[in-house]
Amino acid sequence: MSFLFGRARTRTNVSDLPRQAREHVVKLDQGPQGKVEELAKVLSQMKQLLQGTHEQEASLEHQYQLVTGMIEEDLLYLLAINLYRLPFDSRKDTQVIFSYVFRFRPPNAPARAEPLALAYVVERRPQVLIELCKGYDHKESAQHAGTVLKELIKSSEAATAVILHDDGDEPGSSARGVGAIDRNRKQTGNGIFWSFFDWIDRGSFEVAADAFTTFRELLTKHKDLVPHYLQTNFDLFFSKYNSILIQSTSYVTKRQSIKLLGEILLDRSNYNVMTAYVDRGEHLKICMNLLRDDRKMVQYEGFHVFKVFVANPHKSVPVQKILLMNREKLLHFLSHFLEDRTDDEQFIDEREFLIKQIRNMPPTPVVPQR
Amino acid sequence: MADEGVANHYQVLEELGRGSFGVVYKGIDKTTGETVAIKHIDLESSEDDIQEIQQEISVLSTCASSYVTQYKASFLRGHKLWIVMEFLGGGSCLDLLKPGNFSEVHIAIVCRELLLGLDYLHSEGKIHRDIKAANVLLSEAGKVKLADFGVAAQLTHMKSQRNTFVGTPFWMAPEVIQQAGYDFKADIWSLGITAIELAVGEPPYANIHPMKVLFQIPKNPPPRLEGKFSREFKDFVAHCLIKDPAQRPTARDLLRHRFIRTAGRVEALQELIERKQMWDAKQDRVKLPVFYQETLHTMSPKDDDDEWVFDTIKSVALPKNLLNVSTTPTKSRDPSRVRETEEGMRRMEVRDGPLQPSTPQTVRKATVRRQPSAAAAHQQRRLSTSTGSPRPPVAAAKRPLQTDMSFGNSGSTMRLFRRVPCEHEGPKIHQEQPQEVVNDENRPPSAMQAPIEPTSKEALLGRRLYHKAIEPALDELHAQTGPSTKREALANLSDAFAHLDSVDPEGAYHLLRHLLCSISQDNRLSAALLNASKISPGQHLHRKSVDGTPQSKNRDLSQRPSTSAGVTQNHNIPQTPSRSPQKPMLSASPTKLITSQLNTPLASPRPRRESVVAAPMSTPKPTAERTSSNSSSSSSSSSRPSSVMATAPGTPIKQIQQPQLIQSTPSPQKKEPQLLQQHSAPLLQKKENPPSLQQQLSHPVLQQEKQRRETSSQQLAQQLQQQQQAQLQQAAHRRKESSNSSSHQLPPPQHHQRRESSQSSHASSRSPEKQERVRESSSRELRERAVLEAKYPGQPAVAGMEHCKALSDLLYARWTDGLQHRWGPVAGS
Repeated sequence: MSFLFGRARTRTNVSDLPRQAREHVVKLDQGPQGKVEELAKVLSQMKQLLQGTHEQEASLEHQYQLVTGMIEEDLLYLLAINLYRLPFDSRKDTQVIFSYVFRFRPPNAPARAEPLALAYVVERRPQVLIELCKGYDHKESAQHAGTVLKELIKSSEAATAVILHDDGDEPGSSARGVGAIDRNRKQTGNGIFWSFFDWIDRGSFEVAADAFTTFRELLTKHKDLVPHYLQTNFDLFFSKYNSILIQSTSYVTKRQSIKLLGEILLDRSNYNVMTAYVDRGEHLKICMNLLRDDRKMVQYEGFHVFKVFVANPHKSVPVQKILLMNREKLLHFLSHFLEDRTDDEQFIDEREFLIKQIRNMPPTPVVPQR
Repeated sequence: MADEGVANHYQVLEELGRGSFGVVYKGIDKTTGETVAIKHIDLESSEDDIQEIQQEISVLSTCASSYVTQYKASFLRGHKLWIVMEFLGGGSCLDLLKPGNFSEVHIAIVCRELLLGLDYLHSEGKIHRDIKAANVLLSEAGKVKLADFGVAAQLTHMKSQRNTFVGTPFWMAPEVIQQAGYDFKADIWSLGITAIELAVGEPPYANIHPMKVLFQIPKNPPPRLEGKFSREFKDFVAHCLIKDPAQRPTARDLLRHRFIRTAGRVEALQELIERKQMWDAKQDRVKLPVFYQETLHTMSPKDDDDEWVFDTIKSVALPKNLLNVSTTPTKSRDPSRVRETEEGMRRMEVRDGPLQPSTPQTVRKATVRRQPSAAAAHQQRRLSTSTGSPRPPVAAAKRPLQTDMSFGNSGSTMRLFRRVPCEHEGPKIHQEQPQEVVNDENRPPSAMQAPIEPTSKEALLGRRLYHKAIEPALDELHAQTGPSTKREALANLSDAFAHLDSVDPEGAYHLLRHLLCSISQDNRLSAALLNASKISPGQHLHRKSVDGTPQSKNRDLSQRPSTSAGVTQNHNIPQTPSRSPQKPMLSASPTKLITSQLNTPLASPRPRRESVVAAPMSTPKPTAERTSSNSSSSSSSSSRPSSVMATAPGTPIKQIQQPQLIQSTPSPQKKEPQLLQQHSAPLLQKKENPPSLQQQLSHPVLQQEKQRRETSSQQLAQQLQQQQQAQLQQAAHRRKESSNSSSHQLPPPQHHQRRESSQSSHASSRSPEKQERVRESSSRELRERAVLEAKYPGQPAVAGMEHCKALSDLLYARWTDGLQHRWGPVAGS
């Protein structure tokens, strides 16, 4: 890496760098290796200008020139698309460049304003976000794109652009920027967000784990956006969630998604989603089968979803039926359920509570009143 | 994440080492023929997010340097994560230190290579944060590489700083301990300490309790290298150990130091490797390579009766065995296969491996402890039994690592942190304890057909007794015992007991029962032994959420010898299966009511909470008890866990337990049943768990703060900090530099000793407060409920929760040294 430090002194025109980078990136399609090296050099220079070194702070002016230059050249988009094709070090450099660019605020901007590039991407070029998501398609780019993405979706607008993205350019999709999105429109299931299910289920461990983290962030951090979204797309979302994630053959996917399901359901902002979820008999069935999984941690996470069904004072008739049909089994089962968890008081209390609830259920289903 | 097939690309060979994170094997990449090291991490034993493991992978995978162990791949196999890395045959520097200290020539080379590695990392915006001899690996050719990025940090900003408290106490830079914000320079300090370690065999303060070390490092002038070393070397170390990070040179600066510039070629390090090989050869201990075994075994399909009944069958969810057997037959075998593997691995001996476990404490002992043969045989037995059952009981073995806490991570005994001579055959029994304890809860014990499985109630109890009481007690005692002859005697006893347990658990039960009866009939003995235990876990018992812990059992027997005799006879009466098989004593006998009151597994949370306040020492974890008695054993010779517990409330040991306690908080907290809280009373009480944990969490001293607590949670945070700050200042003789508040969140032990002993005025002034606390406890419940109710809808609640979590995280991280950051809280449940 030491060559980096010498490089800073070979001054090229800072504002020229994005243009050079663009030229090299465009040539990636045709060119042989030679161009990649050129590109790598430019990227590394850009990174250094943005980042500064241990010895030298980055200059605000240079940063500003680079950020505006990259916007003008549409370099963010081009880099996002080609990330997986870059060499190892350039991918890392690109990740650093992105994280600096998306954080950069002009010195005279009001304190509360969105960073320059972020505002631009969200309003004008949401495709950058989509392409970053697609970084999960390739093992090479997954982690770098994911890191950038996780930073970006902290912004509610960026998260909106990802979650509500839908195929095509029809009105209401995110293609024209976040302002044009119609939040009440039902998703077709072709938007980028739905691809996360596949990445999480089918990706290699590194890809899947990173994609899941992003997925979780998207679903848990934005209380104004997600509950409405889940209600609008309840059936599509949970059918995918149950069939792909909860029933995944991957231990990690399964366990993490059960846990996340519990988190989603028990989040107060998702109250309506939760009541809708625990009304369905088939959801309860899935959940009861989780209790019987071979693996203790799956059982344990399953328990935290199961308890919501049982504790619900307004159990739907199908749910009551299933519980009553299995009442004796459940009572027996629960009394021995994860017995070795002797230190987990809350768990023990909850388990006892569930036993009590099941024992005290009326012998025939009662239509809930609310 | 279905990439299990990748595992077939690797041929797994012998075990290289093991630690809190799992087991490291040597292996061969079948496609390239390359030798690799494969780390197996059992995710099922980790409660926490897989995310933290992912963090290590992400740091490693973005490193490409010849000074850093090269990451190759990672993938899932069942519930095990395999991480494939470059194989380094030379072993760790800690291993290489065993035959003797390094010469200056060698140290200079190692330091130069480390500096090159650090320079690379730092230029990448990474901080290693755990530089020490154990984490420096050598290739067979003598190349030096940094390993174990379990707690490494990736900075997004060159200038950004970290506050997280991770690392290993002895090697920690003062600014890390003070949490004043630190950067790359922290690694330089650790390098300096490592240089000393290589030169003299152990880091400075190695003979001091790690808790105190945390205190000494910021307070004292930096350690110096003393003895017959060259001026350059001493100067180099002095430069690394400049307390002010701003003054401390960077890796790049140090590469220009005279000591480094004159260093020789890495090939010279091969001498160290040869020396170690010679040394190994001279050890009479036979080291048989332990090979990785993957046993196939078929899963007997579950009883159909066992399955749930859904009228519309298999609409959405197939019954699981259907799913397993028909749809994905290969998968269905996998979990069990993996478990089987795990079993197999458990039988193996712990060996010295080049890949050391990464947490400091475990490092030391992992190379020391050996499994007694009886225990191994014992495991063998277990293996055989488990094959017969559909679910080997291992899966729930949440705590092979948790038990580790009692040894090292708890920091309870100083001895553990020093190199214990290797010839001691420490009974490593406790490692297997957890699996033993666990019976699969989905299956009544009668279902176990294997010959040696306990069949009678007595046998069951006997087994439980052994694993819950005798084994840990022996284990602990062993840990506390110094002289090798005594240790050996203890180990023999432990072996004998292990044997008895494996052959005749019922006998073990009767032995103990007779023992207790005889003791209780002798006045003196019962006064000495039984009363002590009566006092201590009294409150403790209330806290115990589940009966059947050794203490409670002993107590039942001891306190009421007459009834207990009756009870035991009643055992033979067959019982209804509704109770857990492990509590026959309670369910069957006429004394049921009394005993269950005592044990209050499910009693109302109220008394429990009071007891929490009254006896802040008590924790629900047996391991924690062991831990505590471990550390206080120096003062109390009787060393019964219980009596120690009673006599030492409010001693610093408490803190050691906290992490484990806290450990369980985060996830339940998150999961708080919101629905329940709206509609149903019982769960309302549960709702209060987080705050009650907070209480437990807070130190007795901090509890003074509690009276003011109900205000806002943010205020609370401030108060806590202030309080802690005050304490620290006191202990540090009001040193000015202890201005940073966050570093004091965990008041080191000597504090309280001081508070309680030397400042008697203080101590006495605390008792009214204690009373007040007890009085308050009832009203607190109401207040907490109100607070939580208020908390939920709005933001401040989050802040409060966060504080609680942050504090617990902090404490936990301190005591497990980033264990949590790496492999998840193996300790917790």
